[in-house]
Amino acid sequence: MGLKPLLTKDFGREGLAHLQGYEVAGGYTGLKKALKEITPDDLIEMVKKSGLRGRGGAGFPTGNKWGFLPKGVYPRYLVCNADESEPGCFKDRYLIEESPHQVLEGILIAAYAIGCNLAFIYIRGEYLPQAEALEAAIEEARQAGYLGRNVLGSGFDVDVILHRGAGAYICGEETALLTSLEGYRGEPRLKPPFPAVKGLYAKPTVVNNVETLANLPHIVNHGPDWFAAMGTPTGKGTRLWCMSGHVNRPGNYELEMGTPIRELIFEHGGGIWKGRKLKAFQPGGASMMVLLPEHLDVGLDFDAIAKAGSMAGAGAMMVMDETTCIVDVARRLVKFFEHESCGKCTPCREGTYWMANLFDRIEFGEGKPGDPDLLLDMGYNIDGRSFCPLGDASTWFPRSVIKYFRDEFEQHISEKGCPFKKEREAVA
Amino acid sequence: MAVVTDQVTVTVDGRTVTVPKGTLILDAAKKLGIEIPIFCSHPKMDPVAVCRMCLVEVEKMPKLQPACAVYVSDGMVIRTRTDQVHKYQNGLLEFLLTNHPLDCPICDKGGECPLQDQTYAYGPGASRYDFPKKHFDKAVPLSDKILLDRERCVLCWRCTRFSAEISGERELALIQRGKETVIGTFDDQPARSEYQGNWTEICPVGALTSRQYRFSSRPWDLDRTATICPGCSMGCNIHADARNNRVGRFQSRENLAVDDGWLCDYGRFSFPNFQRDGIERPRVRRDGRLVEVTYAEAIAAAAQGLSRIGPALAGWASPAATNEELFLFRRLFREVLQSPHLDHRPARSPAAPAADPEDMTLPIADLERCDYVIVLGGQGVIDAAPVLHLRLLKSERRGVHVLKVDHLSAGLEGVPAEAQAVGILAVGARKDEAVDLQGRLAGKVKGSVRRLIVGDGPNGRGAQDLGILPDRGSGYAALSGPAGRPRLGWEAAGILGVYLFEASPLHAFDASGEEREWLARLDTVVLQRSRPSPLDEVAHVILPGRTFTEKDGTVTNLEGRVQLIRAAVDAAAVRDDWRILQDLAQALGAEWHYGVVEDVFADLARAMPQYQRALLGERVLWSEAP
Repeated sequence: MGLKPLLTKDFGREGLAHLQGYEVAGGYTGLKKALKEITPDDLIEMVKKSGLRGRGGAGFPTGNKWGFLPKGVYPRYLVCNADESEPGCFKDRYLIEESPHQVLEGILIAAYAIGCNLAFIYIRGEYLPQAEALEAAIEEARQAGYLGRNVLGSGFDVDVILHRGAGAYICGEETALLTSLEGYRGEPRLKPPFPAVKGLYAKPTVVNNVETLANLPHIVNHGPDWFAAMGTPTGKGTRLWCMSGHVNRPGNYELEMGTPIRELIFEHGGGIWKGRKLKAFQPGGASMMVLLPEHLDVGLDFDAIAKAGSMAGAGAMMVMDETTCIVDVARRLVKFFEHESCGKCTPCREGTYWMANLFDRIEFGEGKPGDPDLLLDMGYNIDGRSFCPLGDASTWFPRSVIKYFRDEFEQHISEKGCPFKKEREAVA
Repeated sequence: MAVVTDQVTVTVDGRTVTVPKGTLILDAAKKLGIEIPIFCSHPKMDPVAVCRMCLVEVEKMPKLQPACAVYVSDGMVIRTRTDQVHKYQNGLLEFLLTNHPLDCPICDKGGECPLQDQTYAYGPGASRYDFPKKHFDKAVPLSDKILLDRERCVLCWRCTRFSAEISGERELALIQRGKETVIGTFDDQPARSEYQGNWTEICPVGALTSRQYRFSSRPWDLDRTATICPGCSMGCNIHADARNNRVGRFQSRENLAVDDGWLCDYGRFSFPNFQRDGIERPRVRRDGRLVEVTYAEAIAAAAQGLSRIGPALAGWASPAATNEELFLFRRLFREVLQSPHLDHRPARSPAAPAADPEDMTLPIADLERCDYVIVLGGQGVIDAAPVLHLRLLKSERRGVHVLKVDHLSAGLEGVPAEAQAVGILAVGARKDEAVDLQGRLAGKVKGSVRRLIVGDGPNGRGAQDLGILPDRGSGYAALSGPAGRPRLGWEAAGILGVYLFEASPLHAFDASGEEREWLARLDTVVLQRSRPSPLDEVAHVILPGRTFTEKDGTVTNLEGRVQLIRAAVDAAAVRDDWRILQDLAQALGAEWHYGVVEDVFADLARAMPQYQRALLGERVLWSEAP
């Protein structure tokens, strides 16, 4: 357990972002090995055996996802989801900035495994320098023969197209991403059919997260057993945790799966800033349920966090100190979801709008005694009823804070305003 | 589409039903008479599951499932009436109404509004939403036909999907996102679709309304009459909705074999042409002036003029007249007046080749079952029967190759020899080319080649069937006597008088300048028509008849389907057209004694057994020998 730089091992090394530097650090050996020594089917088995689970949020086993592609249906597409837009997440950006070739190598290995000759990178529009870094990497790799026709004499053809999104959170959801990639409004699609069967341009498609793909060269190089030896029984390997908020040293930390949250926050993050106490934290990203100091010994792993009542999500760790108004945090997050709701389905479109209005009035002193229950009831009518997880997720954090901090809601309502704000003003 | 053979049995609310695999939960429930409320779902469009109204419990599935988008599987257990579902339905309607203006008392949709109805049936009595409502633009003109109220809109996507999937024009789109999402056209340009009226019918709220119908009635004040659209030869089925004895709107009345539930704007918004402004009396010309007289006097004057001329008389009846009227019109000419100079062809194609039963061997609905359809003349065919476009697009979506060609050669080249079923569509004026193409394709392809000729007027087909032609008798029989002259040959033939029966302003005689000058020189011009006409100036006798929405009878559409029209408004003070024809025949010495219009049809069917065999609403099958 603890810090375990695997993807980030060589980060900071001179020239790593360029082909030569990446090759010096051992880059593209995974791709060479895969093309030369491993059949696509064996590669899929290898990834299944490694226990690699998706790093985008849902934590679905990667090898199984690949295995859902219908046999014999071509063309099929691979899409690298680099639309990192979960508030609190900045790991994909880091991986791309520091080592774009590592991501690209992962894409090429995955493409080879699933028999895809055309892969796409969908990157959020705000990541312009990162997009440029990837474009440069694609060009270098093309010159070096890592992509294009007959890669390294293997007979395998592959090309990679980079596409920049236009700044919609919803386009991180895989079906909305595909819809946007096709040139339509970014809105989720009905499932089934699942992307594995009918994805991009109605062809079999795999969508994998940047970090997921970046793991592949290492799994190929060192073998699935080596990978599976790291982490917990159901969470293998490492994970990048994007820590932000009220800690002394915010940043990306690559930890072995299962490392206790306490270690991340207090050891690597240097503890709570300004000598204050920890009030709460939110693992996974803006969508996820709040956790409390009592959960500090939970391991950073999909199942352990789920058991504690939240989700590992996309690997964010937002830390809040004792002076934080949790109602205000929820208000800000709900506003984010309201703003990003695509408007396709009623519960999300109307529900997030209504919730945002309710949070505003509670925070600003016009809350009514029934408001917390009304919020909970709205959660009932949104969560599991929305078209896609955006609506569902908009309710998770608010409902969890009502569960743990109901007294703060009631204080806001009875005192007609935010007690933390009053305190801050008093101190000032 | 794959043939579905498997049947599955599912349980809905404790009752079991067996349905084909590939049935939606919604439809399986419907089969049991269990209603699941919907807004976005529409039987003719792909499921989108955006409104989320139809969520139900499905055993073994943790979340509520959209009944409009989930297909049943064998043994599925569905519950639509549980506490969980009820509580959610309440909540969903509360969501939909958060910013809905609830201006039902001034909304055209009020009274026939799914949002209103379902709020009563499934919704909360009151809302917990106590914030000021968010306002959007109201009464946004999308075109000269349609207004959009963005506050009432519930973003069900039906109109945008119609625009994409049904009419294929993609004129309506979703703009902005989230709570700001609105429906609109690109850059706010006026919509140009010919099918916009359908938007108002599929809109489950009062967001899209017809400018023509706006504020003219409440739905419950309308008298609804099932009839046929007078717009063209398609014969789309409609409801004519009237209030205080005036038609307020035409609405679609789904007939899967004909219109598939849609109308074009030309037909839908054509009803003002049939409105009556006051009661009109017959008139006769005395000393150059038209003078009001009684029907008896006018008929006597007409009879006198017609008998004076004898065989040098020609008759034109509009392709919008009913079969009953045309039957009597033909009898009047052939039997009573002994004139063969009969025609019904309109001014725009006065010399179109005469039809024959082969023109309708291809039923409209069979277009979907062809593998190739050649539209000879392209948009010209669509313009003549606009709803055909929707059928063709639907066929294309199902894999039919639709080739819109200007020339026969392109049609011939475009169809491969292995084609199984080829259809040809053309307008009457280009029938000869269509026949030529049919012959050549029959020699080229393996399968069948059939044609469907788009005629003129709601009863152009009937006019041809009944022999309102100079060279054919009824039922396309050869004439026993000498052939008459077509409309364009009347002047040269020395015709001295004409009887013009303009049953509809949409299918009027439309005299050319030359025809008009000639008409002005004639001894006798008798004009039977429903509305004031430019021909009034040359008429010696004007016999006011009823408009299309004021009478009963039958009309035959382009594919030979005989359909009933029914009076939507009462015009008792105006004489029925068939009675005028009977009165005139009697004045000329004929012994006609039809009591009601059905008697005329019975006689018609005796004279033309194909019509007898065709039950009303079915196609006349000429191929079957009587």
